[in-house]
Amino acid sequence: MDPRFIRRVRKIVGKEHVRCGPTDLEVYSYDGSLARGRPGAVAFPADTQETAALVRAASEAGVACVPRGFGTNLSGGSIPPDDGLVICLTRLNRILSIRPDRRCARVQTGVTNLELQNALAPLGFFYAPDPASQKVATLGGNVGENSGGPRCVKHGVTKNHVLGMEVVLPDGEAVRVGGEALDPPGYDLCGILVGSEGTLGIVTEVTVRILPLAESVVTLLAVYDRVADAARSVSGIIAEGIVPASLEMMDAPVMRAVEESCPCGYPLDAAAVLIIEVDGPAVGLKEQAERIRRICASEGCRQVREAGDTEERDRLWAGRRGAFGAIARLAPGYLVADCTVPRTKLPEALERVRLIAQGHQLAHGNVFHAGDGNLHPLLFFDSRDPDQLDRVRRAGREIMKECVELGGTITGEHGVGIEKLEAMRLIFSEEDLDAQRAVRQAFDPEGRFNPGKAVPGVARERPVVTSPPRASADDTAWMPETVEEACAIVTRAFRDGTALLPEGGGHWRTFGNIMERGLPILRSAGLASIVEYDPPNQTIRVQAGIPLADLQEALRPNRQWLPIRPFPGARGAILVGSMVALGACGPERMRYGAPRDLLLGLRFVSGTGRLVSTGGKVVKNVAGYDLGRLLAGSAGTLGFLTELTLRLSSLPECCRAVRGWGLLAEVASAAAELLRSNIEPTFVTASPLNGTTSGKGKQTDLEHWRILVGLEGFGETVEAQAERCAGLLADKGLEAEATEDYPVLDGPFSDHDRSMDRSPFLLRADLPLDKVACFVEEAASAIHPEHIFADFGCGRVRGGLTRLTEDAWDGLCGCIGRLDGHLLLEKAPDAFKKRRDVYGPFQPAWKVIHRIKDAMDPKGIFSPGRLPGRK
Amino acid sequence: MIAMCNRCGFCQVACPTFRATGHEAGVARGRVALLRALREGRLAWSTDLEEPLFACLLCGACTTNCFPAVPTADLIVEAREEYLEKVGRKRIHGLLFEHLLPYPERLRRVARAVAFGKNSGLSGVARALGLLRIFGRDFPRSEKIVGRMPGYALRERFPPGVLEGGGERLRIGYFVGCGMEIMNPVAAEASLGILREAAMEVHILENACCGLPAWSYGDREAARKLAAGNIEILSALPFDRIVTDCSSCAAFLKKYPDLFEPADPLREKANEVAARVRDMVEQVVSAPPPRSKEAGRIIVTYHDPCHASRGQDLVAEPRKILAALPGVEYRELPEADWCCGGAGSYALSHFDTAMKILERKIDNVEKTGAGVLATSCPACIVQLAYGVRRRNLPIRVCHLSELIRERSAPTG
Ligand SMILES: Cc1cc2nc3c(=O)[nH]c(=O)nc-3n(C[C@H](O)[C@H](O)[C@H](O)COP(=O)(O)OP(=O)(O)OC[C@H]3O[C@@H](n4cnc5c(N)ncnc54)[C@H](O)[C@@H]3O)c2cc1C
Ligand code: SF4
Ligand code: SF4
Repeated sequence: MDPRFIRRVRKIVGKEHVRCGPTDLEVYSYDGSLARGRPGAVAFPADTQETAALVRAASEAGVACVPRGFGTNLSGGSIPPDDGLVICLTRLNRILSIRPDRRCARVQTGVTNLELQNALAPLGFFYAPDPASQKVATLGGNVGENSGGPRCVKHGVTKNHVLGMEVVLPDGEAVRVGGEALDPPGYDLCGILVGSEGTLGIVTEVTVRILPLAESVVTLLAVYDRVADAARSVSGIIAEGIVPASLEMMDAPVMRAVEESCPCGYPLDAAAVLIIEVDGPAVGLKEQAERIRRICASEGCRQVREAGDTEERDRLWAGRRGAFGAIARLAPGYLVADCTVPRTKLPEALERVRLIAQGHQLAHGNVFHAGDGNLHPLLFFDSRDPDQLDRVRRAGREIMKECVELGGTITGEHGVGIEKLEAMRLIFSEEDLDAQRAVRQAFDPEGRFNPGKAVPGVARERPVVTSPPRASADDTAWMPETVEEACAIVTRAFRDGTALLPEGGGHWRTFGNIMERGLPILRSAGLASIVEYDPPNQTIRVQAGIPLADLQEALRPNRQWLPIRPFPGARGAILVGSMVALGACGPERMRYGAPRDLLLGLRFVSGTGRLVSTGGKVVKNVAGYDLGRLLAGSAGTLGFLTELTLRLSSLPECCRAVRGWGLLAEVASAAAELLRSNIEPTFVTASPLNGTTSGKGKQTDLEHWRILVGLEGFGETVEAQAERCAGLLADKGLEAEATEDYPVLDGPFSDHDRSMDRSPFLLRADLPLDKVACFVEEAASAIHPEHIFADFGCGRVRGGLTRLTEDAWDGLCGCIGRLDGHLLLEKAPDAFKKRRDVYGPFQPAWKVIHRIKDAMDPKGIFSPGRLPGRK
Repeated sequence: MIAMCNRCGFCQVACPTFRATGHEAGVARGRVALLRALREGRLAWSTDLEEPLFACLLCGACTTNCFPAVPTADLIVEAREEYLEKVGRKRIHGLLFEHLLPYPERLRRVARAVAFGKNSGLSGVARALGLLRIFGRDFPRSEKIVGRMPGYALRERFPPGVLEGGGERLRIGYFVGCGMEIMNPVAAEASLGILREAAMEVHILENACCGLPAWSYGDREAARKLAAGNIEILSALPFDRIVTDCSSCAAFLKKYPDLFEPADPLREKANEVAARVRDMVEQVVSAPPPRSKEAGRIIVTYHDPCHASRGQDLVAEPRKILAALPGVEYRELPEADWCCGGAGSYALSHFDTAMKILERKIDNVEKTGAGVLATSCPACIVQLAYGVRRRNLPIRVCHLSELIRERSAPTG
């Protein structure tokens, strides 16, 4: 390595924080995988600034970089490029802030997952992703790989819990993306950065969602004589509408190994066990456990044991967590495969794995996240024997192939890295890969960040960016009825350089900075069929133009739904595609997630007219960049959505709203208390008590508010929660109102709440959770909203305004900036849009958004001018 | 054994040197990777290896956290031996292991000289020994520590020989560890008192250093010589038990058989000796001294010496003893079994790392709010006392024996 470069690196981080001796380079040549590489130097920056300086130096010297946490990933993600610079983030080890009132923690990325958990536990909180490696995996590594763990069957993976980050881009610029408030303007940059394996940016700080610990937990051990019975019980439990906190499976070879190394109470004569844990409000938990028992018994389970006390529970979990280890005593090497299949395919997948292992004469065992269908077959071998190494690699490839054939994917949580680079072609076409390469190029045109990882090959073509597109003279509207037709329309537009405005119901045509000016419209309504509905797996593949109501109708016979309701401000038919494209949803998001959290796979027509697929139909998937995250919320600026695969839920048995009214401050304090408690509400919202009818005609009384708390789930549980909740509201001095059940699909919100979009201005403010009332007081009272709706659970305020001057808007922008939130005018007259950006003042992260737009839609044909910064 | 490491990285959480430096060469996974690179020819023996090999505390915490239980500490000792052969050793170590440690009398003389600050030339020897910790760490920098050094060694007051005890039958050989003898004769005296309560006779042995420092340094030949000498002394008389109040000595005495090849006649003898060795902690648990009636209330916490917890699996016992002492409120120390950084020559040759490790330890001690920090290894005591002093904390650091003795009612 060039000594001048080393000197420069020393200057940046200090001499003692650079290593480049032969022993140093040797110990940074590996990670948890079987791959290796030889770096030129290793640097340990102290903070974001030093990291950025290192990246700038490397970029100027043409040196490749790889970020590294503790190097425990199992795919080769942190293997250094030869003669490259390892940027090791372990010195960034401070927890910067923990805010239970905001359900947020801000943490440097060198902190380990367990260190964060340990800091949260005394406050009664936790961070949901819990990889088995949590004590030695950094949050940076978790972000890099989009890590999951046993708890993810209920709460989702890293991606679902990262709200914001500080990231150093490949050109050495440090930018903040996202933050404590949801849905920052433009694309979901966090969503694309999480799981990018250090190829798009080096994350130095993350803001993560934290949640209150559950009130109570029941742990069951179900014992089976046949593996297939255990596997079938898994989908049986989920289909029943139970969302277990964890649902893990272990087979006989693994149990034997565990019991040999440390007796944890696993039955040695069984073929498999399931460890099933349910948590939540204490009332109703026993009944859930009882349901689980029944399901297991009906699938041929021999016995279900309940952990009598914490000690027994800890023992069972110790066995599960120590399973890889116990196995490690049996052989000097093992390969962990990491495929995901639809849950119903588990029995078959396990059988195929067995045959493959047998075919290659390899001993194997299984211990895995059954609830997610995420298999971890362990193949044992001796890494010193090249023949065995070769066989194990081949077996690994075959397992991936079989799982893909079963409708699964090649990696559920360990990442692509180097090891699964070629396997990416099993699930993605060159077109699909090109779209991913375009993203990479947008971030890292020189390809210096972690080259040779995550996405195979380099972009085949680099379309020249041209702008702006010509608006065609007439206001044509196309409504393709086939995907081919859609591709042809987009291809033509690409060739001619003409604009296209994708749309669903037409209601949001002027969303963003777009004005009414006759752009040719591309409607999705002609693509409205259900492609594949898989009730036991709770997934559905639909075309983008299907109305939400039709979708729900189709699901109802199976007692399932897509847990999104017509949201405040929505009107007319909501088409699923546009709902996802806009990231639109209501306050139940607090419990069920936003559309992007429910989106498993996606097909879209790209800016060059190609049909691109991303994701799949399994709930856990880290193969390639998550383009779905980028497209969800992109508001028709990156592609025309044609088909979506969505994750469904069982319909809740009971939906009940608890109400109360009082002063804004009392309502806010009750909401805050609810968010700190373990009551687990589905939403916490409030709106003014007297709607629009105060003395001065069209003015809302902003002093008196009604709080509305939604509780959904099993009858007994909801009942007990509602009681606790009502008690809490009374304690906070609110006047009680009748508790009421509401319809599952329509939700409890009044027409008044929904009709706010009749106002000419529709304002949305996103805030840290504790700032909602603050915003209402400071800002909203200054602009006299006609309608206003506060969502405490998601930190959002929506308002319908009759008028808004530019000065008032500028004032609002200043105010929201001080509150660490952001604004969006979901609707505004053209005259206003001409003079102000509806997303507020410019932010550095928008540059990245524009680069992505350029890379994926090089001629800028989709919805030109809509994005923040009018791109 | 090297191949058993699957690079999972789980040792990182436990390895004190890694927690202090954050550098992969300072963790079991990295050290084992280097050994593998040496075997596979990717790396040549050179002074570059000194740091990664000799910075290991041999504390064994990695192995406890390692699924395949890779015995890193043992592998490192082997590698150190090879390093000494291939890269070279320092003359001063030969001096120490061959001319000082085998001769308790000479060692005591050196100690006295150092205590009175008369012969600074000796400090170099002492430092190289890694035994400087026994004389008070970082000798040239802290006159104060030297000033506090006891002016006498145990066997200067209690010469080798037989002491009558109050018990029936039991004959105990008391193995005098270098650290207890020189740095902590007061605690050693307390131990003697406790033993005399329980035994009919207590023999103060004329043993030399147990050999652990030499073994840790990778000089296994020197360690074997020391062991051979001690085995002669320990098997000369038919003691029922051989007790030592230094957990490091106890652990190493129990390990004596491993030092000799199966064919070596000394192995059999070593086995016999090892079978009778007891840590003071075990002795007290088997024969608890009578409780004194009056005792002031104190809050006590306990640090696990590596050689007690991982070396001998003595974890529950010391806690049981403390919790049972009159007037004692026992509070668990967070990360109690984390090495204090005082291991072997460590604190001297790797001063900065050792201090970072110590800081973490003392932070934890402060969290407990304890007024007394007890342990059972003289090297730990010196290190911990230094840590407490550096922060001017009102915490007494002492040996378990002292507390036990103070809070029991002597019958004689
Ligand atoms: C025994 C064992 C069990 C495991 N169990 C699980 C499990 O249950 N679930 C699971 O998901 N994983 C599991 N893993 C895999 C691994 O622990 C995780 O992938 C972990 O998140 C990696 O963290 P790390 O700090 O070691 O990151 P590293 O391995 O150092 O890095 C991982 C990737 O992230 C990138 N990266 C690191 N830091 C940053 C940063 N600050 N910014 C951007 N990119 C960065 C790296 O370049 C690399 O591509 C397991 C591993 C082992 C050995
Ligand atoms: S013995 Fe201790 S210092 Fe050495 S590698 Fe293991 S844990 Fe680290
Ligand atoms: S814990 Fe054991 S197997 Fe894992 S890296 Fe450390 S030494 Fe290797």
